[in-house]
Amino acid sequence: MWKLKTKSLLCLMASLFVFCLSDLALAHGERAQQAGLRTRTIQWFDTEVFPRDAKINDIVTVKGKFIPSKWWPKHMAQPDGLEGAAYLNVGVPGPVFVRVDSRVNGVPMIRSTTFEKGREYEYEIKLKARRPGKYHVHPVISIRDAGPIIGPAYWVEVTGDPANFENKIETLTGQIIDLETWGMNNTIFWHSFWFLVFLAWVGYWFRKLPVLMPRYKKVMVLGDDADQIIEFKDMIVGGVFFVFILTSIGGSYLWAQNEYPITIPLQTGEVEVIPLPERPVIADVKVNKARYRIPGRSFKLDLTVTNHGESPIQVGAFYIGGIRFMNPKIIGGTVKEEKGDLIAPDGLTVDTPAIPPGETRDIVVFADDALWETYRLTSLVYDPDSRFAGLLMFYDEEGNRYIKEIGGGMVPVFT
Amino acid sequence: MSSSYPQNETPEKGAGIFSSEVREATSALTSIEQQIKAYKTIDFATVPALFLLFGGVSVFLFALTVGDWDFWMDWRDRRWWPLVTPFSLILLPAVLGVFMWNMFRLPIGATFAVASFLVASWISRVMNFQNFAGFPLNFVSPSTWIGLGVLIDIVLLLSKSWFAAGFIGAFLFGLLSYTINWPIFAPYRLPVEYNDTMVSVADLMGYMYIRTAIPEYVRIIEESTLRTFGEAVTPLTAVFAGFVTILHYYLWVWVGHKVVRSGWIRKVI
Repeated sequence: MWKLKTKSLLCLMASLFVFCLSDLALAHGERAQQAGLRTRTIQWFDTEVFPRDAKINDIVTVKGKFIPSKWWPKHMAQPDGLEGAAYLNVGVPGPVFVRVDSRVNGVPMIRSTTFEKGREYEYEIKLKARRPGKYHVHPVISIRDAGPIIGPAYWVEVTGDPANFENKIETLTGQIIDLETWGMNNTIFWHSFWFLVFLAWVGYWFRKLPVLMPRYKKVMVLGDDADQIIEFKDMIVGGVFFVFILTSIGGSYLWAQNEYPITIPLQTGEVEVIPLPERPVIADVKVNKARYRIPGRSFKLDLTVTNHGESPIQVGAFYIGGIRFMNPKIIGGTVKEEKGDLIAPDGLTVDTPAIPPGETRDIVVFADDALWETYRLTSLVYDPDSRFAGLLMFYDEEGNRYIKEIGGGMVPVFT
Repeated sequence: MSSSYPQNETPEKGAGIFSSEVREATSALTSIEQQIKAYKTIDFATVPALFLLFGGVSVFLFALTVGDWDFWMDWRDRRWWPLVTPFSLILLPAVLGVFMWNMFRLPIGATFAVASFLVASWISRVMNFQNFAGFPLNFVSPSTWIGLGVLIDIVLLLSKSWFAAGFIGAFLFGLLSYTINWPIFAPYRLPVEYNDTMVSVADLMGYMYIRTAIPEYVRIIEESTLRTFGEAVTPLTAVFAGFVTILHYYLWVWVGHKVVRSGWIRKVI
């Protein structure tokens, strides 16, 4: 017996130890999404969330840009076409904020839309702080039948008293209403009214106790004549209740029609969002070969780049699956790294100097960092089609940025 | 509280509860008073237990079959909510109605089922949706069904016929589901202009109170044909809901009869 107790105690202590070691799960499981989903659906960039400290009722802005990938997996639902539907959402733990505005390219996103693959979009979401706490705030684009595509996140801390939160709006009928409490008293009234009807009806049948056993025995004794238990008085009461209930339903309906004469059905539908104007192609890129060396967490790209611009250009960054691999020679010192940020500040190496205007050159780019492993992008090798996509950021000598999405087949190197 | 038990009548030997078999089974009760007390205890124990049981079962069933259509104020549209909700909800009133009528000749089964469902729903909405998830209660409060449950029971009482209970009672259950709830829904259908778009108050609440897992396009609302009937879609949906509720009611009344006839349930009682 003591052995059993000792084993139980040891198990309990081991469990407590494991709990102590584990970190809090506060984010949204973005690492759990399939690597192909993160790299080849929505290419997020320039994501900003500000301010990071807010009080109740303060506005927090989430903004940035995205490009629906040209290399969108064929085995997934698409963001465009007749069947496509997409919705700009925000990844927070429930209504800890209320969304007061959200726009893509200036179009209000209260409804769903479609996004054209390969085109650029700019979004902005304004959130009003509602509940105190520390929250990981993501932009999210939900795609019908494909699910949510989660963007990069930043932590926002909200302080203050939630009792001070208010959410007032004006209706088209001129009423100022607080959405936190609107209609609640009315709802409680009508539920209470019908609950009283329930108590009255059941109370009538249970007015004299005991009820169940005597009636059961009478029913068993009377058999097919059990309806004799029902008295004439019961029928009268039933009739009165019947009329009362039908009158109450009709009366309450007419009351509501009189109280709220102007109402509309629930609204749905889609809106059209026109993509941002296409940028002139400065850097033309052909992917010759892409190798991912698993032991070294090293992604090697063999590219042929043509510079169509008027100034030399160089690869300054490579964005893939939300991770930003930076070339420190080009944008070193300008990157502000935060805890939990998906940045490899010196993770990008390019084997060649800047490409002069008009020149076509073969270059090799390495994107190396443990973030491949930490953020589970190594699982690209388990995708059904072994392809990748990402954004190459070229910079000219004046610091102008030129974005080019690249993609193609990827072959893993296992040794 | 007076008793409905026949205290002054002389029990006939060998009949009813005073038969020799019953005497043997209830030998611990030596007087009528003790038996009445025991029967009252059964009432006090059984009724709340049934209330809890059916409340829990119906909320679970409802979450599986109706779910978002009745969880959120911005899902309760004119076309799907009045059809899906009574169709699904009629199941337990039918089964419990048969049990209460066949066993006790009590026309309270449907009322009891919807009332227990509503109490359990309120608990779920307050505890899960408001306290745990943080949604304002007005956005997630349940719809009401008690009046419609009583109507089914009354039709059964007056007609003593399952056919009439279904044909009239269940039809009214489906037909009037939107009407009885309109006083609750109407404040959320006021029009609002928001970012140059006209929406209802309920739509706006659905937009503002963030549901990461429920993008706007997943709402199955206002999707159907019947466009040729203009604004009359609600009454047409209501009539159709009444008809399908009749059929579903008959199905579960049949199931209820099978269950009540089973030997095990008689042994329990």
